[in-house]
Formats: sequence, C-alpha cells, structure tokens
Amino acid sequence: MRQQYAVRSLFIVLGLALVGLAVIVQMVRIQNSEQAMIFLSQGDRYAGEFQMFYPERGEIYDRNGHLLAGNQTVYEVGVSLSEIENPDSMAYILSQYLGLTYDEVYKQLTESPESWEYVVIQDYVGMETAEALQQQVKQLNDADDSRLNGLAFKPHLQRSYPENALASNVLGFVTRDGRGYFGIEEKYNDLLAGNPVQIWVPRDPNKASEIPRVPNGTTLVLTLNRDLQSKVESILDQALFDYGAQNGTILVMDPRNGEILAMAATPRMNLNNFGNYFSLYDNGSQYNRSIGMAYEPGSVLKILTMAAALDAGTVRPDTTFIDTGSIEVGGITIQNWNRDAWGQQNMIGCLQHSLNVCLAWISSQMGTQTFYSYMERFGLGHPTGVDLSGEATGRLKVPGDGDWYPVDLGTNAFGQGVSVTSLQMLMAASSIVNEGRMVTPHVLYSMVRDGHQYNVPSQYAGSPISPETARTLNEMLAISLEQESSQALLPGYRLAGKTGTAQIPTDYGYDAFRTNVSFVGWGPVDDPQFMVYIWLESPTTSIWSSETAAPVFSQVAEQSVILLNIPPDAVRHQLATK
Amino acid sequence: MQGQATQIIHAYKQAPWRIQRQWIGAFLLIVIGAAMIAALYLDVTARAAVSGREIQELRIEITTIQRENADLETQLADLTSTDAMQRRAIELGYRPVLPGELDYVAVPGFVTPEPAILLAAEDTLPRAQTLPSEYTQSLLEWFDDRIRFGGPR
Repeated sequence: MRQQYAVRSLFIVLGLALVGLAVIVQMVRIQNSEQAMIFLSQGDRYAGEFQMFYPERGEIYDRNGHLLAGNQTVYEVGVSLSEIENPDSMAYILSQYLGLTYDEVYKQLTESPESWEYVVIQDYVGMETAEALQQQVKQLNDADDSRLNGLAFKPHLQRSYPENALASNVLGFVTRDGRGYFGIEEKYNDLLAGNPVQIWVPRDPNKASEIPRVPNGTTLVLTLNRDLQSKVESILDQALFDYGAQNGTILVMDPRNGEILAMAATPRMNLNNFGNYFSLYDNGSQYNRSIGMAYEPGSVLKILTMAAALDAGTVRPDTTFIDTGSIEVGGITIQNWNRDAWGQQNMIGCLQHSLNVCLAWISSQMGTQTFYSYMERFGLGHPTGVDLSGEATGRLKVPGDGDWYPVDLGTNAFGQGVSVTSLQMLMAASSIVNEGRMVTPHVLYSMVRDGHQYNVPSQYAGSPISPETARTLNEMLAISLEQESSQALLPGYRLAGKTGTAQIPTDYGYDAFRTNVSFVGWGPVDDPQFMVYIWLESPTTSIWSSETAAPVFSQVAEQSVILLNIPPDAVRHQLATK
Repeated sequence: MQGQATQIIHAYKQAPWRIQRQWIGAFLLIVIGAAMIAALYLDVTARAAVSGREIQELRIEITTIQRENADLETQLADLTSTDAMQRRAIELGYRPVLPGELDYVAVPGFVTPEPAILLAAEDTLPRAQTLPSEYTQSLLEWFDDRIRFGGPR
C-alpha cells in the first residue's frame, strides 16, 4: 500500500515537474521569439523620448546694468483631443479668453485629423490671460464640471523688452522662431541664443539621469547709457516736430574708445510688438538709419578735406584764400551756398562760413591722388565695422570709376557727390578729436558667460592724420564755432563742430527745396569726452543746418555733460589743479 | 574488530528524523536567505525609483524657477524702466536738472566708477550634483563595495 502511494507521488511529482519545465521552455521560447523582439523594440520606443533643451536666450543690459532685453513666460494653450467631453462649451469659453472666434476654436477641436492626439489652440498667450483661464479650469474642476477637460498649458519663455521702443534701432528684435533680426539681436544671435542640447530622457524613474547642462545664452552688456539714450531720443523726436523733418538720427560716442553712448533714429517701434515692422519700414536699411542709410552729408565733410589739406601741408590755418564767389573745377563752375563772394579768408574763415569755393580750391591744390588717398584713409566707402547688422558702406567715387568726373574732386571736398552713413562720418571725425587716431565704433561693452565677464577691447582703425594736425583742426573748429556765435554753443563748455547742409540728389538733379541737415561736434575741446552727430532729413521750417541741427547739438551736449558728469570747463580746470 | 566498528557507527549514527530535520533546516536557511536578499533588492529598487521620481520632479521645478526668475527680472525692469522712473520722479515733485544747477566737488582719491560687473563670478546655472552611487549601482555592485571597501567608494 505504502509503495503504491510512493509510485503515485512520484508520478505527480514528475507530472508537475514536466508542467514546470514546459512553462520554463515556453517562457524562454516566447522571450526569444521574433514577435518578442518586435514587442521589445516597441517597448523601447515608449521607454523615453528625445527632448530638446533650449537654453534661455541671453539678456541685454545697458552699461549701467539696466535690462534692455529679457525673457518672460508665455503659454501654449492646447487641448488633448481624446479627453474633450464638450467641444461646444470648450470652444465658447476659449474664444472668450483667447480673443479667437467661436468657429475658429470649434473647427480646431472637431475637424483636426483623427491621428492627432493634441491640438494647439493658441501659442504665446500672456501670463495674465493664461492665469485667468487656469483659474476658470480650477473652478470647473472643483464643481465636477467637465467642460474644460483636456485643456493643457505649456509654459515657455519669450523675448521681452521692458523699455519697449527705447533703443529699438540698436537692439533689433527676436521673432517667435527665436531668431534675431537687426541690430544686436541679429549680430550676436548665435551668442545670445546659446546651443540647444538634445538628450534621451527615460520615463522609468530608475533610469533617471543627471540634468544635462544647457548653458544659457551669453548675456551682453552694451556701451549704451540708457538715460542718455532716452534723452537723446526725446530730443530727436522734439527736433523732428519743431523743424518739420521727416526722419533723423543722433549719435553720441566716446571719442576715446569708440563706445556708442546713444544711438537714436526714427522711426522706432515697440519691440514687444515686432509685427508692426512692415507698417513702419519699407526696407531693412531704414531700420537704423544711422548705419543703414547713406546720404550726401554736405559741409560736415569739409572738416575731412581740411584735415587732409593740413596734414598734407597743402594749407596752414593762416593760409589766405581770396573768395571770388566761384571756382571752376573740371570745366564746371562751383559756387558758395549763398552764391556770394566772401573775399579774403583764412582757413578758419573758410570753415566758419562754410565756403564751397574755398574747399574746392583746397582739394584742387591737393590733387586727386592725395585727396582721395586721405578720404580712403578716413574710411569713406568702407563699412566702419560696428558690431550691428545692416551696415551700409556709402560710396566714394574715385578716379578710374566709370561715373567719376574731374568736377567730383571739387564737389566731394564739400560733401557733394559722395555718400556716407552718419556713423562713418562720426568715425572719420574721431581722428580729429582723438589725436589723429580713428576709433572703431562699437556697441558691445562686454559679454557675460558662465558667471565670467569678458570686456571687449577698443580698436583703432588707423591714424589718417598726425596728432599735430588733429590738434590744429580741433582748435580751428572750436574758434570757428565761437566766432559764428552758433546756436550749437553751450555756456560753460568749449565745444567744436561743423554744420552741414546738403541738397538732396534725385533722378533729375538736386532737389531745390529739400535738404539734409547735419552737425558733427564734440567737447570739451581740451579733453573731448563725447562726440555727437546729427542728421535731420528734409526739415521744413528751415533748410539750414545752423538753424536746425546746430541747436539740437547744443541740447544733446547739455544732456551729455549732465549725464556723463562732465563739469564746466572752469570747474574742471579748477578741480584738476587741486 | 569488525563488530566493534559497527557498534561505534551505530552509536554515533544519527536517527533518520534528525537528518531529515537538518535538511529541512538547511533548506529553510536558503529560503530565508533568498527572501532577505529579495527584500533588500526590493528596498533598494524602491528607493531608487522614489529618488528617480524626485529627480524628475526637481527637474521640472528647476525649469519653473528659471522661468520665474526671468519673469521677475523682467517685471523689475518694467518697474524701473525709464518711463516709469521719470513718471514716479515727476509725481514726487522732481524735475530735470539744468547744467547751472549742478555743483561739482573734488573728492581726493575718487575715481569715476567703471561699468559694474553684472553677475557674481560664480556659475549661476542650476546643475545637479552627480547622483550618489546608491542610486545608480546594482545590488551586486553594492555588495562588492561593502565587502571590498566597507562602504561606497
């Protein structure tokens, strides 16, 4: 009997062992089957996802640490289509908050392709709207109301400009695809944007790994002085109003190192509404006229002709010229701005009265080779190298060019037949202010990356004239401004400068009624700390620079000495002796 | 002699039930050991899972805080923008100064300050420290560390 039980037990054990073995065999077989491989690969697909980590776009500050361009949170509002219970109500509520029509939202909710699981209703929704909508969702959820089921908010950063239109021509803007256009935003787009990093993010918490290090974009510190920029923009706007000018630019630069302290141009736009671009500008060159638009500068260019002549030894300050009111160059007669004969003049008088005839005579005395050689050295016809996108080069015709004529030697001497940008003129004039050395203008003061600040060194663009010539001409321009009793003067400060009134060329010759008025000036004369360039297009109250651009210069100089802490000359000399 | 040997063997031979109990004991020892190892493994795995989840949540939190920082900076810049400051100054009774109203005083040793360095010289980016080895190593590696080094390397 006992043995019989033992046999039965043995059979049962063997049977169970066989079943167990079969299970194991089946497990191994299934796990190594072809289908298992397919399931495994499908599983791997859902084990995680590749995510692109975009760095925060670098901020832009002015030289005193005021934020000019930052970032702020906006929301992508979307709907998980499988969770919608009442598309009708959802479309109605969303249309109320998002400023869309009911039909637009309803169509998105109901007519999206079947394969879609999620649909974006609106992106770049502001924080206030999103928070109000989130509050609505919460209230409905609390009341077990499913009308907004499936609504999702995905926050992300968007470029923001707290100063709105301030320095808009310098900063440029960033579109929603994250690309910078114009100005600093375009020039330094790669630095500001940083490098996105794509990594595999597992969903399994056991496989959680370190956060990838995605450095933010480089923060930029500009040379701009926000307060001066604001004042200069106000002055420019008022000048356009007062003198009925169409547009204008004002530049303020530190002549010692080329740092642009203010760069105002019109029109400006609120950078937070960059969609207005097409309504404000016809083409990209208008975005920042001070670097993008070349024009015939007129008499401000006489200071370069005089600098060249003094440096070449063609004339001296006391060289006498008898002005008969006209001169013939290349077979064409050139006259003064008022067609008068000014009689005997020295070189200061030629500048003070802005005599075309005198300057045409000077360039003729220099000869084409010397004159154009100097103009090339002053950088005319070449970009300044400023660190802003969209710079125009202007045009300097030289002997040998198909459209150069001998009369150009005479007209170019007083700024006709040559086109420059405001910044080119400012850069060329910096050689007179800066002991003969011409500075390269720049807007970037430093870069901040990973907590380290890298300052941008100043650069010089050559020395077109000697220090002695620069000092001589500096003094001549100060005297001519003083003797003229110019509206450009500022009590307490000795300033130097030159006006420029230029007729505007058209397809049919020069416009008889419209002018471009300019002024280039600097101060204090014995220790120049700021340079100013002004260009007003087609003023209507007066066509003369002395009555329009000159007083604007005085206003800019006044604000510059206040905001840059430059004491009056007497006080400065007194302080220096202590 | 042979009989004597048989007597000794019989004297020391354990009873069958004793041998059976020893086998059962050994088997139970193995089962308990395996259970302990399984429990330890489960514990470590559970802790790793919880930590992994926390890491995921912290990652989201870091992103949120970064966005909040950016928002706060922008809000501060809005509040201190040129227009806002001018408006507040005028409301408080201030007006723009004129050049003649300024007094300049010589301060021995004073040097005009250069533009300030904006950020502290340290990495301000949030960055996770390397995960402790407890969260990344397998159970065998953990045992290996304990045995060879008496603790984590």
